Amino acid sequence: MSVPLPVFVAIPLVAAFVLPVLGKGLKPIATLLANLVTIALLILAVTSIGDSRTYEVGDWSIPLGINLVLDGLSSLLLLAISVVSTAAMLFSIRYMEQYTAKPKYLSLFLLMVAGMNGVVLSGDVFNLYVFLEIASIASYALVGFGCEHEELEASFKYMVLGSIASTFILFGVAMVYANTGSLNMAYISRAVQAMGMNAGLAFALSLFVAGFGLKAALVPFHAWLPDAHPSAPAPISAMLSGVLIKALGVYALARLVFNVFGVSLEVGWVLVALGLASMVAGAFLALGQWDFKRLLAYSSISQIGYVVLGVGLGAVILARETNIAWASLAILGGLFHLLNHSVYKSLLFLTSGSVEMATGTRQMTEMGGLAARMPVTRAACAVASASIAGVPPFPGFWSKLILVLAAVQAQMYWVAAVIVVVSVCTLIMYLKVHRFVFLGELPERLASVRESWGSMTAAMVGLTCVCALMGLLVLVPSLRVGILDPAVSVLTDGLAYSTRLISP
Amino acid sequence: MDKILLYPVFVPLAVGFVLLFLPRSLRLASKTATLVISIVSFVQAVRIFGLNEASYAWSILTLGDFRLDLLLTAQPLGAFILLFAMGFGVLITLYSLASKAQIHRINEYYGAILLAIGGSAGILLSNHLLFLLIFWEIVTASLYILVSTGGKDSNFAATKSFAMIGVSDAGLLLGIGMVWTLSGTFAISNISLPTTTALPIVAFLLLMLAAITKAGAMPLHTWVPTSGQYAPASVMALLPAALDKLLGIYLLVLIVTRLFVLAHGPLTIVLAIIGAATIVIAVMIAMVQHNLKRLLSYHAVSQVGYMILGIATLTPIGIAGGIFHMLNNAIYKSCLFLCGGAVEEATGTAELDELGGLGRKMPLTFLACMIAALSISGVPPFNGFASKWMVYQGVVQMGRTPDAAGVGLWPIWLVAAMFGSALTLASFVKILHSIFLSRLPDRLQATKEVSFLQVLPMLVLAALCVFFGVFYRVPLQRFIFPALAAGEGAEIAVGSWNSVLATALLLIGVGIGFGVLAVGMYAKQTRIVPTWTCGEIQPNDEMIIPGTHFYKTVSSLGGLKQMYTGQERGYFDTYNHGGKMGFVVTGLLRWLHSGILPAYLTWVTLGLLLVVFALCRIW
Repeated sequence: MSVPLPVFVAIPLVAAFVLPVLGKGLKPIATLLANLVTIALLILAVTSIGDSRTYEVGDWSIPLGINLVLDGLSSLLLLAISVVSTAAMLFSIRYMEQYTAKPKYLSLFLLMVAGMNGVVLSGDVFNLYVFLEIASIASYALVGFGCEHEELEASFKYMVLGSIASTFILFGVAMVYANTGSLNMAYISRAVQAMGMNAGLAFALSLFVAGFGLKAALVPFHAWLPDAHPSAPAPISAMLSGVLIKALGVYALARLVFNVFGVSLEVGWVLVALGLASMVAGAFLALGQWDFKRLLAYSSISQIGYVVLGVGLGAVILARETNIAWASLAILGGLFHLLNHSVYKSLLFLTSGSVEMATGTRQMTEMGGLAARMPVTRAACAVASASIAGVPPFPGFWSKLILVLAAVQAQMYWVAAVIVVVSVCTLIMYLKVHRFVFLGELPERLASVRESWGSMTAAMVGLTCVCALMGLLVLVPSLRVGILDPAVSVLTDGLAYSTRLISP
Repeated sequence: MDKILLYPVFVPLAVGFVLLFLPRSLRLASKTATLVISIVSFVQAVRIFGLNEASYAWSILTLGDFRLDLLLTAQPLGAFILLFAMGFGVLITLYSLASKAQIHRINEYYGAILLAIGGSAGILLSNHLLFLLIFWEIVTASLYILVSTGGKDSNFAATKSFAMIGVSDAGLLLGIGMVWTLSGTFAISNISLPTTTALPIVAFLLLMLAAITKAGAMPLHTWVPTSGQYAPASVMALLPAALDKLLGIYLLVLIVTRLFVLAHGPLTIVLAIIGAATIVIAVMIAMVQHNLKRLLSYHAVSQVGYMILGIATLTPIGIAGGIFHMLNNAIYKSCLFLCGGAVEEATGTAELDELGGLGRKMPLTFLACMIAALSISGVPPFNGFASKWMVYQGVVQMGRTPDAAGVGLWPIWLVAAMFGSALTLASFVKILHSIFLSRLPDRLQATKEVSFLQVLPMLVLAALCVFFGVFYRVPLQRFIFPALAAGEGAEIAVGSWNSVLATALLLIGVGIGFGVLAVGMYAKQTRIVPTWTCGEIQPNDEMIIPGTHFYKTVSSLGGLKQMYTGQERGYFDTYNHGGKMGFVVTGLLRWLHSGILPAYLTWVTLGLLLVVFALCRIW
């Protein structure tokens, strides 16, 4: 089944405008509709795996018109977005009953999905910026959705920092246009190859790194995340940590660095440095947290560091021109970690939502012994924690293993050492979660706590199964060749991106 | 392609994983499944041991230079340890089935037992370093689950155990990565790295750290006593006492004899220091403990020292002695923990102060415990003596190695080992006295022996203690010499110790002793009366000589006293220190995260500036 690419953006966008029109009485229909949209997107994303095509809007050929490009990297991201949004939407059915104005929530949710799908499909930088703004603004509103003091403050901080990032990016787009005369990625890439990097382009690239780095919450651009992600409703936290920072941040950054500007040692090391700083700082900050969701948020910073580190290592190795297979290994590790993190971190946020709904608190000191009362939540959290902590055979182990091996293969033993140290910190922080939330003595206050059956458990069980089986993506050759390898080769091919899109 | 190698690994792992998620109502099913599968695994292990050379290979993943193949090989060393590991699995399962001790989340308990069994089998059969790592971590995770099924505070103990072993597992991962780049392969049988340059030495140290942490040696040993105190006794008998020792020492033997080419020098001295320090320090701490399970745990730490010391000698007899001691220790320590568990279950406490005089109430437990206690103390003719004797000889022989660095230190190691052995005996005298001899407190009058299924594993293990001691040549010839590739005829001189004659003489001596006692009893017509002072009959409970007071003088000696207080407060616990360092870093970072927006904006600006500096090449 080969649908035109704009459908990925159009379905959620149209649904987002229809939903708020449905009044209070039609809330179940709105919920159903929203779920159907995410499920449809999931089906579309799964069927588009292995596809590689472009769509020229209004049949205007590039560089005059706008194009949407689907390749291995885009379909990997589309898959992650649709899996997480399906689960989060399912979870929302029950969870969002606590809030008023559910149709508005659903509408913003779908708007965010539309923005993300647009970002990963867009073939020119300006449209990328537009979709990024759609997704970002929807997420500002969703973070403050509860309208409590703390949530509004978080939303405000997020909005200020997010707008600065958007400004950086827009400024970068302008610089690129001034220097190359084009906004289409393929044409920019060709111009960069023809004239080499000049100071203006280098400055534009720096702006992009800072701007997308902020969207990806890399240290030192991460300060908004620990406020924003915990304040949002749990399914939105799952979306933000699970996919938003990756689609808006890591994807865009990787696309621009590898396919548009071309890798260089400098940019590779910048990515490695940002990745390492995020890994270490995020891990230690998470260790000190007693707020369940805040701990998860800091852990996201740490985990996104792994992804960027993998991609950055790949860039460094590619720039050194030593061995392309080593670069592939590093990038494979990074991208697989991206996929893994989107699943297990969203699962962890869903379990935190389930716990918060049952106990009415996010403070881990006030919990304990929930294993017996909430078996499904506990099992889901255990699988996700095992995965994020790198316990084999869960997928997180494989991605970390590949990263460590790529680092030692490139003779960067100290990078490998940092990876394992942070991995130990990750293990300890999730041990802490289990020790204080699920094990130990049940406080009297929580004696009547019960699992919330229905859509919430269904969403968690579904994601748990995905999480438990994801290791197969790298272990089963046909799956790897179908899903991960095309994404890796998009990045390792580098500037060949332009020749693929423009017939010479 | 011998598919039989797959069964003891993947069947328990798969079933164990499923059991973890079963609801409580299906607990009968999980008990049955665990029993059946542990027995089947044991039978398979026996068959694998019978096979000469079996191997299984399945290529899973190839990514450039990185190949992940499932390579399973039955080598003599792994196969014989597998045999015993699976045997422990069966015995502990039997014990657990009959145990009435309160275990939380019963399905997880049995699932984790199967995971531990399957993971151990995987480690012992794996010929691929990465699969070894995978199974290694599965065993770590199963330990976490098992410890967490204990009572109050077991969540803390489980966390601490997983965190500490997790650190060493991370080291293992890094070490394996380094071994891979250095040698270009993961296949254990193809690796032989000289330890002359820095990188292989670092890799060796990382792998060694993983091995000794799992086995429970210093400096990362403190998870053993902590989990010993809070985990169910059966868990301690299965993992830290038996499987973790077997696996840790297996890995140590592997890296010392196969993966790396080691010569006498700094590395062996480091190993010997770890061994000797572990023996002496842990037993000193054990002596003054008041909690039975905690005391046993410190001995579990102390005994590892002998194995490490034996291996560090690099002499055939020393290594053989180390492996033999590993086997013996697993047997008697597992037995001791089961006895401890039985006592705790029957009386409801593991505090030595509250126990006493149980010898008559629980005669079978007493018998098993006494045999195991004599074994661990190295009293001939029990098995602990046989292997310690070999370790001593290894140390002496190492001293005779010509032209080797650091072998002159052998008297230190020998003294430490013998001193430790004496202290072990002292400490078990205390245990036997406080639990089984002494006086029965009134509270425990109704105590009964535990059920048959629980006594059986203890007696089996105690019988093994005797058998491996008296006929020590049997396990040596059958299991250990082939494992070290010493051929059928190649006899490693095991001193001139004639165990059978000695045993006979000892038995005669004990018989004469009993004779004298019996004669005395009949001749004098001993009268037993209640204690009578100050015109009153004193209650039983007050007329007890508590075993916990035996070595109080040691703990109040100048110098030692401060050490003991510091130890009690956790000053020497690497876990606490690691935690504190983490808190410092975290505190600093939290101080930076003030929550003030302008500060964050400054960071963004500075970050942008740095990126611009780097990318626009402004330097």
